[in-house]
Amino acid sequence: MQAKMPLDEVLMIVALGAYVISALALLVYFFSREEWLRHLGIPLAIVGCVAQFAQLAARYELTGVWPLLNLYGSLSLFAAVSVAIFLFFAFRYNLWFAGGFVVALAAIFLAYGVTWNEGSMPAVPSLQSYWAKIHVPLVVSSYAAFMVAFVLSAIYLVKYYFERSLGRVTTSQLASVPAGSAIGASLLVDSMAVRPSVRVDTPNIAEAATHGNTVAQWLNTIPSLAQLDVLIYRVVAVGLPLLTLGIITGAMWAHESWGHYWQWDPKETAALFSWIIYAMYMHLHTRNAWRGVRTAWVSTIGFLSIMFCYFGVNIWISGLHSYKL
Amino acid sequence: MRALYNDFVQTFGNVLFAVCLFLVWGLLTLIGVVIDQGKDASVYFQAYAPPLARLILRLNFDNIYHTPYYVGIIGLILLSLAVCTFKRVIPARLPPLSAVNIEKIRLHASIDVKGDPGSIRNRVEAFFRARGWHVRKRELGGTEWTFADKHNWARRGVLVAHAGFVIIAAGTTIYWAKGFSGDEAVITGQTVSIPHTQTSIRLNGFSYKIKPIVTKSGMIYQPIDYVSQVTAIGKDGLPRTATIRVNHPLDVDGTLYYQSSYGFALRFGVTHDGVRVPALSNRDYLTGDELALPGTQRTIAVAQFVPTVDRQSGVPSADPRVNHPAVFLQIFDNGQAAGAGLVPMNAAIDVGGGWRIIPQRYLLVSGLQYTHDPGVPLVGIGAFVLLAGLIISFHMLPARLFVRVDPSPAGVTIGIAATTVKGYDIFETQFNELVAELERDFNPREGAPKLNLAEAT
Repeated sequence: MQAKMPLDEVLMIVALGAYVISALALLVYFFSREEWLRHLGIPLAIVGCVAQFAQLAARYELTGVWPLLNLYGSLSLFAAVSVAIFLFFAFRYNLWFAGGFVVALAAIFLAYGVTWNEGSMPAVPSLQSYWAKIHVPLVVSSYAAFMVAFVLSAIYLVKYYFERSLGRVTTSQLASVPAGSAIGASLLVDSMAVRPSVRVDTPNIAEAATHGNTVAQWLNTIPSLAQLDVLIYRVVAVGLPLLTLGIITGAMWAHESWGHYWQWDPKETAALFSWIIYAMYMHLHTRNAWRGVRTAWVSTIGFLSIMFCYFGVNIWISGLHSYKL
Repeated sequence: MRALYNDFVQTFGNVLFAVCLFLVWGLLTLIGVVIDQGKDASVYFQAYAPPLARLILRLNFDNIYHTPYYVGIIGLILLSLAVCTFKRVIPARLPPLSAVNIEKIRLHASIDVKGDPGSIRNRVEAFFRARGWHVRKRELGGTEWTFADKHNWARRGVLVAHAGFVIIAAGTTIYWAKGFSGDEAVITGQTVSIPHTQTSIRLNGFSYKIKPIVTKSGMIYQPIDYVSQVTAIGKDGLPRTATIRVNHPLDVDGTLYYQSSYGFALRFGVTHDGVRVPALSNRDYLTGDELALPGTQRTIAVAQFVPTVDRQSGVPSADPRVNHPAVFLQIFDNGQAAGAGLVPMNAAIDVGGGWRIIPQRYLLVSGLQYTHDPGVPLVGIGAFVLLAGLIISFHMLPARLFVRVDPSPAGVTIGIAATTVKGYDIFETQFNELVAELERDFNPREGAPKLNLAEAT
């Protein structure tokens, strides 16, 4: 007789399936502009996200062990919070164009997390603390916010460099494109724009789009570079306080568990490294001349540092945080 | 001298200089993440090519977080932060109310309405007040100006964040100045005195719980609990019994005692020509201790306690629970390795010269760590001040509106411009919505707002 599949595994399959279909629908939507794909993809993303939170709750209920103490559980939360943060910003700022990329990444991370599922096991003594219920969700949520910022940064960079590759208007001229110019007013009328904007900072793309350039048409329907930059800032502004709070609560836990709030453990220092990069981002963002493509690069590098902190330190570097299973 | 001071202030008060310092700090931190810290030199020669290992050791990358240049870069960041705070952040708190050329500010708009300038101005002020703007009026250069501020207090966010950073640094310094820490391996039944506090700790008992679990990758032995039962005598001289577990330290006179590790001590029966040698037999040996056999050049090192030896194969098992234990002993003659062996408990080993050693019993050892850090409260306060500063800085947008109401051929023109501390793009949508709302307020029958959003310069 075949063993009955536990509820948490059923929910995991539901979440993964919903994300895969949602990601495909939203990616095709990005290129095709077929509204029905968006109407299919977004509810599926919501279903996947809800299923994941339910999966974590079910796992906790079934095993009695806080489910975020290993890479399987934390990656599950990471994917769920990534989608949740994306949905929040998407509803707030009409960011549906980025949905396919965020949900696809969430699905990839979730699928990778499943490979780390070793079944349920009790927590090691140092993880048996109420801090696990505070510190881990905060840190993982900050990673998730940075992932959304990374997707927006990548889109920014693609748009920026495509604009430059068209080359008819120089970068310095971009800054002086008049607001409300005819070209902008005619081309920004699109359901995917964040808000009706008077600014067009990619005139080459706008012009190429009118001449039938397919890539330009895709890129022309997403928000302006200036708007993307603001969106990236807003998401990083969520992630950095979360990371700061995560580091603080981690230090409080370390003080209770290991006797020092800061041990220069590789995980701590890798998190500090990421914090420093995003602190650089915020400082650079105060400067007009550095806002934009440079800060988008810093955000991208910041996310790579987060990935190193998350996977590199957990998997390859031994230390006090090496809870691989 | 004045020029030097000005250069210093200009450099250290520059945000880009602070970013450069962050970059160096980040790179040094990354080096410390990638390279194992605090290991023996041989570890680096094993892990890296010899020239690289030598470079790591020569540059102190094996202990980078305590090098002068790592501490120095943090010092420079604090200096930059202080200069920036006093020269840029504090003076920028409350920008003076001054006339501007509205058309020169990127976020600007004008609305044509009918009515007299005085009543229109009052209505505009009421409009902004109703939406939470702090409105002030000034006559500048013969023109009536209306200034509306929102979240002006949030301009202090950066100051708060910087203050948090300084408080954390102060708390850390207090630990360096007045704190201490250490660790003790306490054998069951033994009493140790902590050198810094003269507190005595007696280990009444230690236990640990390990659970074998079958995972998809195979069997693992998961630690579940480590528990020390102790009697502590602090400054008051009164004994108090307590339990120390991981995550549950014991506080004695402000010093915290933590469960950090565990191990085993061994007692041997040592005989020479069949006669028991009390000096060597009546003491406990920890892993790494040596027995020096009197009258010989021979020493026996207690290399490792093996909790479980497979009864059939005789090889050590991965099971950390004690079940058929043994001791791995190494024999040295005149400093040279002369032999080694895994000796089961209560089995004798002949080490030559008439000497025989019998591992007779094992005792559990609790690894206790202690810390006294009077800077912790300050670090905690600093951390939350930093966090509050970040949230204020990132999520509150101090903005100022410049409004003037001028007579025009069509009636009255309301000119509005906006500035924020975070540039124009971040406020663009809000500004457009605000202007559209104002337009609707004055021209409710016009339907869609007819914004005269002038071109940016």
